[in-house]
Amino acid sequence: MLLKIDRICKSYAAFPNPPTRVLHEVSLSINHGEALGLVGESGSGKSTIAKCLLALTKPEEGSITYDGIDVIHAKGEDLRRFRREVQMVFQDPYGSLNPRMTAEELIGEGLLVHKLENGAQARRTRVAEMMEMVGLNPDDMDRYPRSFSGGQRQRIAIARALVIRPRILVCDEPVAALDVSVQAQVINLLQDMQRKLNLAIVFVAHDLAVVRHLCENIVVLHKGVVVERGTREEIFGNPQNAYTQALLAAVPVPDPAIGRARRAQRLAQTTN
Amino acid sequence: MTAPAIAAPAARPGLRLSPFEIFVVALVAFLLAIALFGPLVAPDSVYRSDIANSLMPPSFDHWFGTDDQGRDVFWRLIVGAQTTLLSAFLVVTLYSLIGVTIATVAAAGPRWLDETLMRITDIGLALPGMIVALGFAAAMGPSLQSAVIAMAITGWPITARMLRGIMRQTMEAQFVAGAQVLGVSKWRLMTKHVLPNSLDVLIVKWAGDVGTTVLVLASLSFIGVGAQPPSAEWGATIASARGFVSTAWWTVVAPGAAVAITSIAFGLLGDIIQVRRDPSLRGN
Amino acid sequence: MQIVHPMPAMPEPTPKYAPLVTTSGLTVDMPLGRDGNSVRIVDNIDFSIGVGERVALVGESGSGKSLTARALMRLDRLARLSGRIDFDGQDLLKLSEREMTRYRGSAIAMVFQDPMSFLDPLMTIGDQVAETLRIRGVGKAEARKRALAVLDELGVDRAAERLDAYPHEFSGGMRQRVVLAMALVGEPRLLIADEPTTALDVRVQDQVLDLLDDVSARRGLAVLFITHDLGVVAGFAERVMVMYSGRIVEDGEVEQVFAHPRHPYTRGLIKAVPRIDQDLHKLYAIPGAPPPPLARPSGCPFHPRCSESFDRCVSELPAVLNVGGERVACHLHDPLRV
Repeated sequence: MLLKIDRICKSYAAFPNPPTRVLHEVSLSINHGEALGLVGESGSGKSTIAKCLLALTKPEEGSITYDGIDVIHAKGEDLRRFRREVQMVFQDPYGSLNPRMTAEELIGEGLLVHKLENGAQARRTRVAEMMEMVGLNPDDMDRYPRSFSGGQRQRIAIARALVIRPRILVCDEPVAALDVSVQAQVINLLQDMQRKLNLAIVFVAHDLAVVRHLCENIVVLHKGVVVERGTREEIFGNPQNAYTQALLAAVPVPDPAIGRARRAQRLAQTTN
Repeated sequence: MTAPAIAAPAARPGLRLSPFEIFVVALVAFLLAIALFGPLVAPDSVYRSDIANSLMPPSFDHWFGTDDQGRDVFWRLIVGAQTTLLSAFLVVTLYSLIGVTIATVAAAGPRWLDETLMRITDIGLALPGMIVALGFAAAMGPSLQSAVIAMAITGWPITARMLRGIMRQTMEAQFVAGAQVLGVSKWRLMTKHVLPNSLDVLIVKWAGDVGTTVLVLASLSFIGVGAQPPSAEWGATIASARGFVSTAWWTVVAPGAAVAITSIAFGLLGDIIQVRRDPSLRGN
Repeated sequence: MQIVHPMPAMPEPTPKYAPLVTTSGLTVDMPLGRDGNSVRIVDNIDFSIGVGERVALVGESGSGKSLTARALMRLDRLARLSGRIDFDGQDLLKLSEREMTRYRGSAIAMVFQDPMSFLDPLMTIGDQVAETLRIRGVGKAEARKRALAVLDELGVDRAAERLDAYPHEFSGGMRQRVVLAMALVGEPRLLIADEPTTALDVRVQDQVLDLLDDVSARRGLAVLFITHDLGVVAGFAERVMVMYSGRIVEDGEVEQVFAHPRHPYTRGLIKAVPRIDQDLHKLYAIPGAPPPPLARPSGCPFHPRCSESFDRCVSELPAVLNVGGERVACHLHDPLRV
């Protein structure tokens, strides 16, 4: 087991109302090389879990342990190691890259910060390799994010995260803002990278079809609580929880016959 | 949500300047050139008295006439530009550095430090520049230096407050979180990620500020607590010509116009930069 | 023996519907910079929507789908429109701005993606729904009554009590209903919905789509639904038009298009969407990205990404042809192809 979350709770103050509970006793674990999906609607708390996993925010109760490190209280060398081994890719291809840094500086920053290469030239070489690996042209490395399309920016974000060879990649809706044809490219890329680098992935998304495609294990969240967890086959083939079932029934499928059948079913349910 | 439906050209709109913009930029460039090179090309006579020729109206020999010491008003303006503009730049640079430092420390540090610094800033905001200048003049004796120090000390709060607000906002951006997750040190986070993306608005402000500072410094000199005669600083020039308004109007109008034009020019420069940054503001 | 003529196919709604809106050669140019240059976003499209028909308009970035929809209402003052938009016999492009305002809200209405940014946070929802009528001179009491009726129709519980509530008191799905009410209170004949469910959770999305379906059937309201989500298209629309880089590349009944997509782009799109009802397989990803309008490829705009392109595709823009009851713009389907 690489990372374990044990009964974390988090609330946000909403003075003068009572605080809003965002996470309640959430537990989950990730093994080496595993792809875990966190699904839920908006308000389910899945993004908050991602932030806790990345130590961007702290839960009020519970613990998070990564390879022996207490993440919530990590300092010094422990924290540095954690930061090298756990990385992220977030949703917004336009806001997730510093507009004033070139692609090379962005992708190479991790190498600089963790002193992983000797000198600027060595870094540039690594950056070029990484760019090719994610499907970008290394000749573009001195350009700024604004010269790249949405899909390309996500590739830069992925390269930036993976160049330091982390062991876990936390992705929060990484393809939601992309065109359909580009989404498929990035999904395939993530899958490739996962296999090549034996990377564990935590994939947070609302799109169940994408999650099913990438993740062998899935955790379903509803209003800050884990309502069901299981393998891909279990969740999609035999969902136990009513919420999970409702969620699955609402996933749009590009097949008119199925769409019509579902509508008829929903109509029948409401008239009963 | 998909990427924008219209993939607009990624670069900013073409860098073609309108005639108005060209005029303003040229004017500012001209003023800066005078400030830098003026004293080099001015004739020596500017520094000498020639009472016989005093208070002569504008003529072919003396484009803006002569002052009460017989010095050519036009060339005195040129020479004075250096003092005036350089002092203004010095003031703005000083208080900007102070303001940026305080804002960065406040935005980056723990809550209590932020609160403390902001309270100090509030106190600073309450102090009007000119009154403090009067105080300094009383303490150190009136001079351009005392005026500059006073302006620098009272100018930083606004910068600090504005910048700290913007920086706090920038720190919410996803790319900042990304850098944190990467393990970037606090120092690098602030200097490489947050600060460069927060200074935009301030650059607009600083451009305009040079103009207002010229005006304020001139006013201070005029009331006697800034540069003292025989300095060619424009405000001092107006002060020493005060008695001749009705008899030799050119001695007052020329430096006065110089101050006005300079402060307007820099103000317009600030506006142009602002509009170029954010075209939605066009027409204001 | 049937002779197929390679002549441009005329747009028609699904046979059971009489045509309501028909465009011919609709072109939208947007101005660029100061010197009178413009860029062509929508390039000469023809389509038709029938009375009460539900049509989806699908496309990615740069396809021009949003501008096409907005052009039907002439919403963008800066846009330069040419061609013809025939609405029930009247060419909308020939109307003055004042005459056009009479169409907006009453003949054609629109709802957008984000209901919150469309609603005025300082006005009660009752007032906002009634406003569409008030600006047309309907009296206050009458407008309020009709607003209430529409909100009721759209399933807003206890609508009478909530007429004086403010937008922030409502959930996302409810706000979308309010916005719909604002659009429907003027009894339009065509509703244009621009990505109305994209920002909503899937269960709420279902509710809103069911609602639209119901309203459309009951009122005989034609709906033009703009989206990038093929799943939503399959569940809601009767006919689908696929746009790419300013052109309509495929236009046909939903069952047909999904079962036998004829344009390589449509095929690619369908294969690129992960599905929960199929065995897992590597997703097909169309290489490259949709071109920005300023850098449109020559000939068929899709050719650089098309696995089946040949030399004619590079130089010649395909005409829209009639293929088995569908309209397709692709040289592959030209029986006279060289």
